Amino acid sequence: MKKFLSNFRFKKLVESKIFFPLIALAIILLFDLIVIPGFFKLEMKQGHLYGSFIDVLRNSVPIMILAIGMTLVIATGGIDISVGATMAIASSVACILINPTIIGLKLSQDISSLVGNSTYSFTPLWLVILVPLIVASLCGLWNGVLVTYGKIQPMVATLILMIAGRGIAQLITNAIKIIIFNDTYAYIGNGWIILPFSLYIAAFIFAIAWLITRKTSIGLFIEAVGANSRSSFFAGINAKRVKLFTYVFCGFCAGVAALVVSSSIRTSDANQIGLYMELDAILAVIIGGTSMDGGRFSLLASMIGALVIQATSTSTLALGVPASAIIAVKALVVVIVIILYSQQVQGFLRKIFGTNKQKEVKE
Amino acid sequence: MMTRFGLAISKNRKFLPLAATIFLFIIAYSFGAFSYAGMRDPQAFFTLFIITPFLLISAIGETFVVFTGGIDLSVSGVVALTATASAALLQAGVNPWIVFGLMLIMGMTLGAVMGTFIAYLKVHPWIATIAGMWFARGMCYIISDSEIRIYDPLYKLLAGTKILIPGLADVVTKKGAYITPLVVLSMTIFIIALFVAHFTKFGRTIYAIGGNGGANEQSARLMGLPVDRTKILVYTVNGLCSALAGIAYSIYVGSGHGSHATGFEMTVIAAVVIGGTMLTGGEGYMFGTLFGVLTTALIQMIIQFNGKLSSWWTSIAIGVLTLAFIGIQSLLVNINAKKISPIKLTDSDAAARKKKTALYGGIAAVVIIASSLIFYFVDKNAKNTAAANPTPTVTNCQLKPFRNDLAKQFIADGAVITYERNGGMDCIDELSALYPDGRIVSDNGTEKKEKTVTPDQINKVLTDINNMEWFTDNMYSTYHKPCDQCFHYNTTVVYQGKSKTVEAVDGGTDAPSEYWIMSGEITQLVPVFSK
Repeated sequence: MKKFLSNFRFKKLVESKIFFPLIALAIILLFDLIVIPGFFKLEMKQGHLYGSFIDVLRNSVPIMILAIGMTLVIATGGIDISVGATMAIASSVACILINPTIIGLKLSQDISSLVGNSTYSFTPLWLVILVPLIVASLCGLWNGVLVTYGKIQPMVATLILMIAGRGIAQLITNAIKIIIFNDTYAYIGNGWIILPFSLYIAAFIFAIAWLITRKTSIGLFIEAVGANSRSSFFAGINAKRVKLFTYVFCGFCAGVAALVVSSSIRTSDANQIGLYMELDAILAVIIGGTSMDGGRFSLLASMIGALVIQATSTSTLALGVPASAIIAVKALVVVIVIILYSQQVQGFLRKIFGTNKQKEVKE
Repeated sequence: MMTRFGLAISKNRKFLPLAATIFLFIIAYSFGAFSYAGMRDPQAFFTLFIITPFLLISAIGETFVVFTGGIDLSVSGVVALTATASAALLQAGVNPWIVFGLMLIMGMTLGAVMGTFIAYLKVHPWIATIAGMWFARGMCYIISDSEIRIYDPLYKLLAGTKILIPGLADVVTKKGAYITPLVVLSMTIFIIALFVAHFTKFGRTIYAIGGNGGANEQSARLMGLPVDRTKILVYTVNGLCSALAGIAYSIYVGSGHGSHATGFEMTVIAAVVIGGTMLTGGEGYMFGTLFGVLTTALIQMIIQFNGKLSSWWTSIAIGVLTLAFIGIQSLLVNINAKKISPIKLTDSDAAARKKKTALYGGIAAVVIIASSLIFYFVDKNAKNTAAANPTPTVTNCQLKPFRNDLAKQFIADGAVITYERNGGMDCIDELSALYPDGRIVSDNGTEKKEKTVTPDQINKVLTDINNMEWFTDNMYSTYHKPCDQCFHYNTTVVYQGKSKTVEAVDGGTDAPSEYWIMSGEITQLVPVFSK
């Protein structure tokens, strides 16, 4: 039997990072298949693909994008808990660039009347996209500088921006929910090209991250720094720069996620955008099997982790649990993941599947 | 003299963060007292305690956890769950004392479960406690989707009782500085915590576990200290503190809902950090936490007294303070590390390091100066443009003076109560006059509305107001420049030949609580203007 399995490279799959996340996803999807009729039914309406599963994919885009950045940060042994606040700042900047009347700038009456127009944007759209991304990257840079040059514990360093970030976002928007009328901007989160447009964005970011980490040496550096910062230093890796890069990239990802979220709900609410999103992102990475202590990482596994989280939320909603109570179910998922990933259970599972390396040697 | 001073500092370096916290608190308080007359009142000092009993209780529990090098993010969830569950139980008619007991057991159980996960399954505290927070918050919504109000007499008694401070208050007229029973509770817990942290075996073990990036935990284990048991106990104690904080919170707020205390855990952690405790564990003092809590409350109070600054400045200020204290701590750690480091610096290295320090210092200075300049000019520009364009935007509600003449005219016509409310998000200005025959006339500047209620209702309001000691010195005007979203009130009451006008602004903590009960009763009667 064991030979048969190994012929199918089952062993390799079990040992790979994406095995456990895939099992978790499979369990949840199986559950959906049984409990929710028509969960996998896809429909073409006006050239768009619709269906519950597509919804899961679409809603998980912000978590996916955040999880990509978070994976790299966690792989270096750090953590960024300020991504939610960074999202609030970035989306506030984007919205203020489209619709600055709200902060009482000197605008003539005719411009003010244009704001409700669906094609109007105060600043050119490329700036509306670019500036928030730069601002978010700067937020990441701030975290990175504190962690690398300030030698502050990552969780503590990012805590500062997490506390102050929403205040800054409210400062930018004067604590007002800005409504966005611009259709082109809303396309980011609401557009469809057969599949939701935001999915392509997530795929694009994933491709960039994959290329950077797997086709250049940066990925190796990140894993080296995370596994052992000191020995990587002796190996000649500039650990500070590697860490700095991951924090900036994480901030950048938060900026992209902010654009997706704020354009899909067409508002910027400094208090609500990205709330608890950092927890979702960290959870996705952990479900993806990346250790909180740093070291080896898998971007794909984190993406699957994000899908697991969103699929859980969607299926709980479909069961009639009130939307606000979903976090309780998420907590249960975390507990299950914790138990599954604990050393005791992992050892037990590996024994069952016969992938224990020591055993192999004996045979 | 200077050398002795320097020696004293270097010998007592471990007290530096604590000293910095206390120093900062005193400076900030002096600044407040210098700027705002309201803060010179001794009551303002006691108000700092009155508005933070739950924060203090929770911060005490969190301090224990942070001493071990862990962190507990579940506090806000447990506080919300305690408030919601106790409100639901009280609604079902359970005795409040039994409710208290149940809540404490619930908090301890949650804490113990999280502690077990952390100690035995080696889960990162961050993950385990987030799960705890989510679970608790989710449970709130499963208990009830809408807010449950608490009407229990014991809760009202605990919330409303004023304990007068001897020497600063007149017992006969019941006027002067006071505290509430919750303050007594929180201070009692604080004293117990001081004793536990610094004078018991348990406390010493907690200190021994934390710090040095987990290495100390290993040493503690090798010394034979019960590390796992202590960890579980610490999280259990924090669960107990969170539940107590939740009870205090529900007494203070008078209701329970899942959205209560959102982001509370971050305030708690910030208070602990500002109190000079190292988040890496092993260092810090319980005493600092008290000042950390008081400092966060003080920031809130100064911003309220200022009136011009919006509420979000609170979170920015707390963030900046957290940064400052973390900066101090990491500086201290680096100094200590340098002292221990066996590698001697050569002269060229030292010169290079000096250059580097100067470079970074210069960059930091430039950034700070540039950002403050930008802030200054943006602020100035905003003011200028606001002055140049008096177009009313949603935020910039023009301050309206009270229409006292119209109010006097209403009184002359025979009205017994005039009630004016202006400001707020929608920038309203409504003046209502209540006549003894049940007629109510309201005027919002552009239109008039009339409404009739029974004379009994008017009479009830009048007697209620009189019972609230409206005509004694206990009811006083507390008008100051209100914040953007706040309402300001001007109420005149004529009753049995007596007449008195009291002004107040909500959002502050200085007005007598009876004022808000009164305004709540009147708002129910007056006609509603469509926006």
